[in-house]
Amino acid sequence: MDGLVITPMLVVLVAAVGTLLFRRQPRVRLAVSLSGAVGYAVAVAALAWYVVIAPAAPGIATYQVGDWPAPFGITLVADGLSVFMLSMVATIGPASLVFSARYLPKYDRRTFYYPLSHFLLLGVTGAFLAGDLFNLFVWFEVMLMASYVFVAYYGGPQHTRAAFWYVALNLVASAVFLLAVGGIYATTGTLNMADIAQRLADPAAAGIDPAPVVGLLALLLSVFAIKAGLVPFQFWIPTAYRAAPPPITALLAGASKKVGIYAIIRLSFTVFAGAQVPVSLPWVSGSSPLAFVGPILFVMAAGSILVGGLGAVGRDSVEGVLAYSSIGQVGFIAIPVAIAATTSSPTLRRVGILAALVYALNHTIAKGLLFLAAGTIESATGTTDLDELGGLAGRSPALSSAVFVGTLALVGIPPLSGFFGKLLVFDTAVRAGAASVLALLLVGSLLTIAYTSRAWNRGFWGVRTPAVEDAAVDPIQVAILVGLAAAILAVGVEFESVYRFADAAATAALDTESYVEAVDPQAVNGGEQP
Amino acid sequence: MSPDLTVVIIAVALPFVAAGLTPLLFRLFGERTGYVGAAVAFACFGLLASQYGSDGTVALSWIPSLEIALRFTVDAWALLFALLASGIGVLVFAYSPVYMHGESGLARYYAALLAFMGSIIGVALAADLIALFLFWELTSVCSFVLIGFHTADRSSQYAARMAMFVTVGGGLFLLVGLLLLALVAGNVLDGSAFDLAAILAEPEAVQAGLRERNLFVPTLALIAVGAGAKSAQIPLHFWLPNAMAAPTPVSAFLHSATMVKVGVYLIGRLRPLLTSTEWLFLFATVGLATMTVCAALAVASRDIKELLAYSTASHLGLMVAGFGFTSVVGAEAGVFHLFNHALFKAALFLVAGIVAHEAGTRRLDELGGLRRDLPVTAAVTAIAGLSMAGIPPFSGFYSKELLFEATVEAAYGLGTLGWIYPAVATIGSVFTVLYSLRFLALFFGRRPDGLGRVHRPPILLLAPPALLAALTAVVSVYPDLAVRAIVQSAVDVTVTDPHSMHVGLPRAYSPAVEMSAIAIGLGAVSYFSFGRIHGGIRSIPVAVPPIGANWWYDVAVDGLTETGSRLASTVHNGLLRTYATWTLATTCVLTISGFVATRAVVGATVGIEASPEIGLVLLVAVVAGVAVVLSPSHVAGILTLSILGFMIAIFYILASAPDLALTQLVVETLILLVFLLILEEIPEYYEVGLGKVARDAVLSIGIGVTAFLTVIVTTSARSEGTSDVARYYTERAVPEGGGTNIVNVVLVDFRSFDTLGELVVVAIAAISVITLLVMRSGGDAE
Repeated sequence: MDGLVITPMLVVLVAAVGTLLFRRQPRVRLAVSLSGAVGYAVAVAALAWYVVIAPAAPGIATYQVGDWPAPFGITLVADGLSVFMLSMVATIGPASLVFSARYLPKYDRRTFYYPLSHFLLLGVTGAFLAGDLFNLFVWFEVMLMASYVFVAYYGGPQHTRAAFWYVALNLVASAVFLLAVGGIYATTGTLNMADIAQRLADPAAAGIDPAPVVGLLALLLSVFAIKAGLVPFQFWIPTAYRAAPPPITALLAGASKKVGIYAIIRLSFTVFAGAQVPVSLPWVSGSSPLAFVGPILFVMAAGSILVGGLGAVGRDSVEGVLAYSSIGQVGFIAIPVAIAATTSSPTLRRVGILAALVYALNHTIAKGLLFLAAGTIESATGTTDLDELGGLAGRSPALSSAVFVGTLALVGIPPLSGFFGKLLVFDTAVRAGAASVLALLLVGSLLTIAYTSRAWNRGFWGVRTPAVEDAAVDPIQVAILVGLAAAILAVGVEFESVYRFADAAATAALDTESYVEAVDPQAVNGGEQP
Repeated sequence: MSPDLTVVIIAVALPFVAAGLTPLLFRLFGERTGYVGAAVAFACFGLLASQYGSDGTVALSWIPSLEIALRFTVDAWALLFALLASGIGVLVFAYSPVYMHGESGLARYYAALLAFMGSIIGVALAADLIALFLFWELTSVCSFVLIGFHTADRSSQYAARMAMFVTVGGGLFLLVGLLLLALVAGNVLDGSAFDLAAILAEPEAVQAGLRERNLFVPTLALIAVGAGAKSAQIPLHFWLPNAMAAPTPVSAFLHSATMVKVGVYLIGRLRPLLTSTEWLFLFATVGLATMTVCAALAVASRDIKELLAYSTASHLGLMVAGFGFTSVVGAEAGVFHLFNHALFKAALFLVAGIVAHEAGTRRLDELGGLRRDLPVTAAVTAIAGLSMAGIPPFSGFYSKELLFEATVEAAYGLGTLGWIYPAVATIGSVFTVLYSLRFLALFFGRRPDGLGRVHRPPILLLAPPALLAALTAVVSVYPDLAVRAIVQSAVDVTVTDPHSMHVGLPRAYSPAVEMSAIAIGLGAVSYFSFGRIHGGIRSIPVAVPPIGANWWYDVAVDGLTETGSRLASTVHNGLLRTYATWTLATTCVLTISGFVATRAVVGATVGIEASPEIGLVLLVAVVAGVAVVLSPSHVAGILTLSILGFMIAIFYILASAPDLALTQLVVETLILLVFLLILEEIPEYYEVGLGKVARDAVLSIGIGVTAFLTVIVTTSARSEGTSDVARYYTERAVPEGGGTNIVNVVLVDFRSFDTLGELVVVAIAAISVITLLVMRSGGDAE
């Protein structure tokens, strides 16, 4: 069963190589890509079932690559948190790949589109499964390399410029990441995440001084905030999201962004939370690195909600609104994480992580749907400029219904998935008794209503423009959108199951002990005899 | 008798199912889908009526982990509201096919109307805070879709967005209020946090719990914002007149009879729980202010639907005020007026629809004296209009008397200042009489010369308002009938100490009677100067725009859009150096504070025992680094930079890492070549301001300090030199890895998975180059 842990990665890797090999046979290439997409979803579902969902599931599974014992080899870990994140990717990933098959021109010259998208998925999946800090870095790089190309894909001046910014800022992030990895290895003498956690929890036994981890965590936080697009690390988002092909943007917003969130939760809570380090600065004090993380995340989240929300209100293109909205929404995800980091109550901590996960799930499906819809609109009308759109609702009721559901999910209307995200985030703030946070959340949610209603009015209502009049909406693309809209509704209606899954994920994120136990890093002078 | 779960669930679900099937139904029945809707509404009415007399809560499990369930309570207050909604629903659906004949988008219209009806029944019956919120929000969404029915029309779009903003935005406040309530209830009642029925069973305990945690006033205020937004209370009333952009049946159904009453309904529902002095001040004040101001605005209206909309807001204010007064008679006013208003106002809206349909205009100054053209409609209007005015013996009079009694009772309790309440209520009623007379003048006044031929309305347009007027007439003659049937038992739900209720024509003097007499008398007298009053009120917002709530909305929304686009272009100014500065500076500040916070810097020691060779190499590197910045040309700068790179390579050699040195040399050479190629494209010289130089200098030093600190702090954290992992590799490389070069064994065996990833990276890099070249030329890669 442990082999299941690595299966999703193998599936996409094989699909990537397969699409590369058959690049001259478009039909075979497409077949390989689609079976890769389906296989990926199946592999993740199987993993989720056996590890978390099934009755008497172990809750965590590990795979030691090459059978080298931890911490000497590389460990892959599938616990509730990883599997939850993978399940999100397994919704939007296949949807994006199938969508791409309809979105790309029939006799396309974009030979490497499919291998690159599979590589992107590989990177994301590896990042969620990595149980080793350097390995995490490697899969980050895989994910980034693939996304660099996609941002520059169309080769126009605006795409090149967006890619230049994107590459430049992310290279900075990679350098900082390496610095942090080096620092952590120097501090703790290990790269295995479970081993790091174990040594930090008992520094005396490991013979280390944990004091530097807070600064190192700050470095990591900056890196992950760049991936997640939290203010003030969001600069690349508006242009990159507009430049990449829409199905890829759906993946960037739905999956890659979540890698940043995941890494913040995994490193701050599972790995570093146990370190007993007194933290004291004029504005924070506590005995764990989390005390330092909380306020920083809160400020970043507040900035994101305001910059993203306000920015989105003023945008004049569909992707522009969506890109800024992504900045704002990630702020909503970070708020409960910040509360979880600040609080001393274990219940509230779990509730906060849970809220962030559910909100992230909604964002993945809803924003994925909306970015794909932007692709549909673009391929049907040739534009996504709100000034040139109008009356889409009458032109394609199915498309607009799906978009309407996605939009309402962003606003947080029950019983859609977005409502529960919002409910739990608000509930976290209410339980924390944080009036200022609630005020911020209210302002942010009002901004969401402002920009979604504006975009809807301008694009979907109004007088039909010539571009819309002549639009040829692809039915299969719309079918995918409707499928995602149904998923948004299904998550809400069947929220009990989703809640339990997210609860398992949140519990796993905070359960350092089980994590360490499952990975079982060998004792300090360890390594059994061969 | 406890309610039947199946019946309740069907009554709520049936309209939603029908809404889902509407595209299909519309294909089958076309415009006659409206009659299917009427049948659905009638079925719901029947199902609900079958539960008449039952009292209790039933639940359908939904999210057990959060203790959220689809709980429904059936009691008289819930039934009153649900029956009104489904009953008026029948009439509105029956009215629609003729009224909406020939419009496009009717499938959407009926689907939204059906979904709305399901939602409103859901709100009425919900006994779970989350279920309540679910249906509450759905009514707002349906309202958005229906107000924006004429999607191409700018004013519809504007109004729909405004209604969405106010009602869904208000909903957010309500959500927070409900969460606070749930938080406290969960503690006080041991679990059952979202169970409204359980909360309402222990009103004192929950209120005491709220007060104990200092959450009573916030909870009350938040719920009030939500309810006030929905029920168009000042200052959130402005969306309602704009919502008149919706087709008239929608206005009659949503924006007068049902949806806008949801706020009032909730206030009534939570009244036993939250009733207190704060409650009285809040709702009595807001309600009476709304009643008076909106009545005045109705007088200033030019359009019949605008008049009715302001009138609706004003009457909603009356109900809110009624519930606001903590006396029993206040609750009686609230419940009874909600009932009466639903009947007469829906009738009047349907009449407005007939007038617009047959006369082709809704402007008050173009209409008048229609009694000869539309005699039945005129009779309907007379009954409903007089009831709206509160003229005895029409139904509206009884409920307004109850309000007057409540204000007087409150005034006795509150002392001198309390008399403001009756005074304001009377002034509001004067305006009510005034605009009611104006509305009646549509039929009984002078017929303007410009008005063309007016057709008799078809029977299907006339029957629904006629039925409503007939019901109003029955209640007018036999008010006790309504009281005994449902109003009394509904009032009992909204009060803590039920009394038996009496309504009827006054037989003796009381302050309330005097207030009615003043209102009617003054209203009738001032009708002769209607034109001047109308003009006077109109001129106020023209002279002082900020007095109008619409103005604030426009300023806020335009300001938001403006700020948004300005902010976006300021923050994202298109300059990589700005982006890099923020990114790097934040990283540095965070990291340094992290090291400072744990005092990690204090213990760190610079523990390098540098040999003279290494010292020399590093010194050259530093000098080269400074020289790069000072170099006079790009070429010189790049060449100097490579000196730095080569020094690092030498450093690696001296630190016995030949592999790294080789890599470094290759990278250095490549960078040099790439730079030289790019150099062509870079302008030879550009001015850089002193400020930017200073900024860059500070930033560079910051980055240097951060990296330096990280290295120093972390390398001095561990006492031993070699880690266990490294020792393990040394021991196992030969026996288990089969290689004598440890680095190689680590790369291809111990950590080969990393290498796999890096290989993928290299492969992607290669693919990227091809892709970019191909896409740029727009050619074919094959």
